[in-house]
Amino acid sequence: MRGPLLLAAGILLGSLTASSQETLGAKSATHESTTVLRFVSWKPDNPHAWDEALARFTEAYPRIRVVREIAPHSSTAFHDLLTQKLKNHDPTVDLFLMDVVWVSEFAAAGWALPLDSLFPPSERIQFLPNTIEAGSYQGQVYGVPLRIDSGMLYYRADLLRKYGFEPPQTWEELARQADIIVEGEAPTDPGLRGYSGQFKQYEGLVCNMLEFIGSRGGQLISQDGRQPALATPESLASVRFVRDHIIRRLASRAVLTYQEPESLAVFVQGKAVFHRNWPYAWEVANNAERSAIAGKVGIAPLPRFPGGPSVAALGGWLYGISAYSQHQNEAWQFISFFSSHEMQKFFAIKEALAPSRTALYSDQDVLKAAPQFRDQFAVFQAATPRPRTPVYPAVSHILQRYFSRALAFADVDLEAEATSADRQINRLLRLTGESF
Amino acid sequence: MTRRILLGVGILLTVGLSLFPFLWFVVTSLKTQKEVEAIPPTWWPSGSLDFYQSALVDHHLTDYILNSVLVAGSTTLLALGIGIPAAYALARLRLPGKVWILGALLSISMFPQLAIAGPVWQILERIGGLNTRWGLLLPYVTLTLPLAIWILASFFKELPAELEEAARVDGCGPWQTMIRVMVPLAAPAIFTAAILTFIYAWNEFFFALLILTQPERQTLPVGIALFQGEFTMPWGELAAASVIATLPLVILVVLFQRWIVSGLSAGAVKG
Amino acid sequence: MTSRAPLEHQAAWWMLAPALAFTLVFALYPVVDSFFLSLHRIFLGVPALGQPFVGFENYQTMAGDPVARQAFLVTIGFVLVSTALELVLGLGIALVIHEHFSGRGWVRVAALIPWSIPTVVASQMWRFIFNDQYGLANLLLFGERVEEYIPWLAYPGFAFAAIVFADVWKTSSFAGLLILAGLQVIPEEVYDAARIDGATTWQRFWKITLPLLKPALLLALLFRTMDAFRVFDLVFVMTQGGPGDSTLVLQFYGYKALFAEGRMGYGAAISVTVFLAIFVLSLFYIRGIGSRLLEKEPA
Repeated sequence: MRGPLLLAAGILLGSLTASSQETLGAKSATHESTTVLRFVSWKPDNPHAWDEALARFTEAYPRIRVVREIAPHSSTAFHDLLTQKLKNHDPTVDLFLMDVVWVSEFAAAGWALPLDSLFPPSERIQFLPNTIEAGSYQGQVYGVPLRIDSGMLYYRADLLRKYGFEPPQTWEELARQADIIVEGEAPTDPGLRGYSGQFKQYEGLVCNMLEFIGSRGGQLISQDGRQPALATPESLASVRFVRDHIIRRLASRAVLTYQEPESLAVFVQGKAVFHRNWPYAWEVANNAERSAIAGKVGIAPLPRFPGGPSVAALGGWLYGISAYSQHQNEAWQFISFFSSHEMQKFFAIKEALAPSRTALYSDQDVLKAAPQFRDQFAVFQAATPRPRTPVYPAVSHILQRYFSRALAFADVDLEAEATSADRQINRLLRLTGESF
Repeated sequence: MTRRILLGVGILLTVGLSLFPFLWFVVTSLKTQKEVEAIPPTWWPSGSLDFYQSALVDHHLTDYILNSVLVAGSTTLLALGIGIPAAYALARLRLPGKVWILGALLSISMFPQLAIAGPVWQILERIGGLNTRWGLLLPYVTLTLPLAIWILASFFKELPAELEEAARVDGCGPWQTMIRVMVPLAAPAIFTAAILTFIYAWNEFFFALLILTQPERQTLPVGIALFQGEFTMPWGELAAASVIATLPLVILVVLFQRWIVSGLSAGAVKG
Repeated sequence: MTSRAPLEHQAAWWMLAPALAFTLVFALYPVVDSFFLSLHRIFLGVPALGQPFVGFENYQTMAGDPVARQAFLVTIGFVLVSTALELVLGLGIALVIHEHFSGRGWVRVAALIPWSIPTVVASQMWRFIFNDQYGLANLLLFGERVEEYIPWLAYPGFAFAAIVFADVWKTSSFAGLLILAGLQVIPEEVYDAARIDGATTWQRFWKITLPLLKPALLLALLFRTMDAFRVFDLVFVMTQGGPGDSTLVLQFYGYKALFAEGRMGYGAAISVTVFLAIFVLSLFYIRGIGSRLLEKEPA
């Protein structure tokens, strides 16, 4: 009676320590010299293009087997998971995607490998300067830009045309157009709303708000990290505008729970006139299988407030190599393959991902497949980075809280909240000896 | 009469409120993608099993299930293996200060996970237990020991002393007495403790989230909490995965509700 | 008899040793170490700062931190509202299950199912129920009137109510079982005597059941309070603390500080505070329960 039980116990406990590599389910390794490269990325919006690109890589480097590990889509959740791995010194992570805002932290913490010797200046100048800048920390480069991302305004070209509107230049104009269109469409389409964006309490909220605040000339953190930035007239007026006109009037209140996928879903269901998203949304919105509005979509730079510049948050992802990887050379081969002129061109044509290599914006094949890049190039070049500091996660949390409270509560004392958030951020920067 | 009506209403409410919300997930899991995205939602599913297939295959649910079985099963075995002698010693053997020991052990069950998470994580880092299923086992055993010991000790205490005496007269030491005489008698309590420990480990999320970052090693709760789609929230697959994750527990509850009830209420009776 | 005692002591210690070892290494030491960490300033992202000893600076920071205050208030509110509701509903469930009727076993099974469901699953379930487009809550309330559908989790008040709701649904039956155990030890004769005295059902409930149930109710209160204080899974899955921190609970805030922001010292200070709060509370409760028992057993 006790024998079999003990045996079962032994098997159970033994299997806990057993390796689980065999469950990976990719093609089995035939050569002993095959290197398994583990790549932490999000689930791509365009899995087929990635599969094809990976197949090409395997063809070029048959000895390297890439295993993709899929992290959550949301940048915040991705960050928590990836940093947890890096803190765990997880040796199975070889390379990863970094959101542009993580670079300082990853560099200062020693998680990302400095790439200066592998990625020389002669290579770097071929990329958009702001993407290289985003991948650097204190003069060293840690990430290779996979593409560039910046906020864009998507609109229903068919509806704007119907009402005789040009894409709006200012936010007020956008609000006016949306009001008229929504009212005009109400009899036939009562579910139509004016705007859809990302306002959940997470990283995307910071990007959305940076655009509103910046387009009135405001900032998230003052130049030296000592002065108020949120409790300034420009910044407060922008937040007030979002609260009173975007959240309470144009959008469904549900946007307070939306990240990119949910907000895009509303737009492609045809339930929003205007939509703020990254460049990838173009492909999705025009894909007839996924979108009810394929072919009816327009794209433009984000509006501004009178007297301010149009501001697009610089987003985007970089390839980085884990400092704990045992396959750093192979990881670099992967990166240089995937960030090559040829592969970026492939992604640009196939999936309309905005390249980080400057030359591709004058490439005729690319512009033929993705003519929107011609207009977007200026937006990309001018895209505004979020604050750069190793304690960015903490800073971002303070910003997220402030914005979310400002938008979600009806009776919040905006000025007091802004002052408090300023004070918390500046205190944090002082504590860690950061200055800008 | 009013009593009967009250009781009827009570029964209906208890059963209805307990089951209805989850039934909605069951219904959702049997829909097609079109039905899930319908607004307003539809009440009746077409009975499609697509989401189950997609959850199991595309979302690697089988890996998570295997990990959960391994972790929860091993936690149960270890917690009992350690808990049975401890409970026996505390209930039946003479030991100075054992009330204090029992109190200290039981108070562990009140610790917030957060209060120990950081240092536990550092210990595991030092001994190479991060990202391993056995590493997860260590906090799990620690946190389930109090309940197991409590249930078992309460039961051991109630057993008649004569059998123990007889064993002693036969020349059995404390270990032999425990293994030969008391453990067989305590089978119901051991079983109860096993079920509750298993359920705890099956459902635990906080430590699993911190310690297991490699998808192939993660347990069901982590898989379900981080469930995501390519482009929209995959509610249908999520519902199917949830039903699958819950099924073993429902079976346990249906088969062993008496043991579970007695185990959970052991504390209350003994006061 | 006495000659056996040393041997028995020795055996007893060996039997206890593994359990004590686990407890010491993975529970007691970590708590002490958390306290130690909380006296240092540690930013994982800025190793150049070192890990200076700063005394109680982190606790001072916490006292002046509006977010910590918010997390504390939300947690207290959550504990109060959810445990109160769970006790009332649990009492109802216990009274129902305590009755004799055919199919009682199945009612018990039904009541146990929410308790057995993984909290993460229950959280996803309620998140879906409160979804702005596909949710059951809107379907039940508004049916076809799609334009009236409410994005529940976008309202601070509703979002908070939603996590309370999910918690109450999940754990009322557990409270019910603890209370049921208390009901079962009340001897029938007490009721018979009351019936003879002409007491109505209602009177019997107030005058007999409830007073005699006090120990069980207190115990249920103890368990539920401790557990509600530690709420994490629900918030992680349903709201991530939003909107506007309306569902930011201490365990989630501490988790964020420790594991997302890398503020190890400050995060440890939060965790120590949560620990102390629970510790003090449990002392109060145990005192209450203990004195009850003494009253009952005049020994």
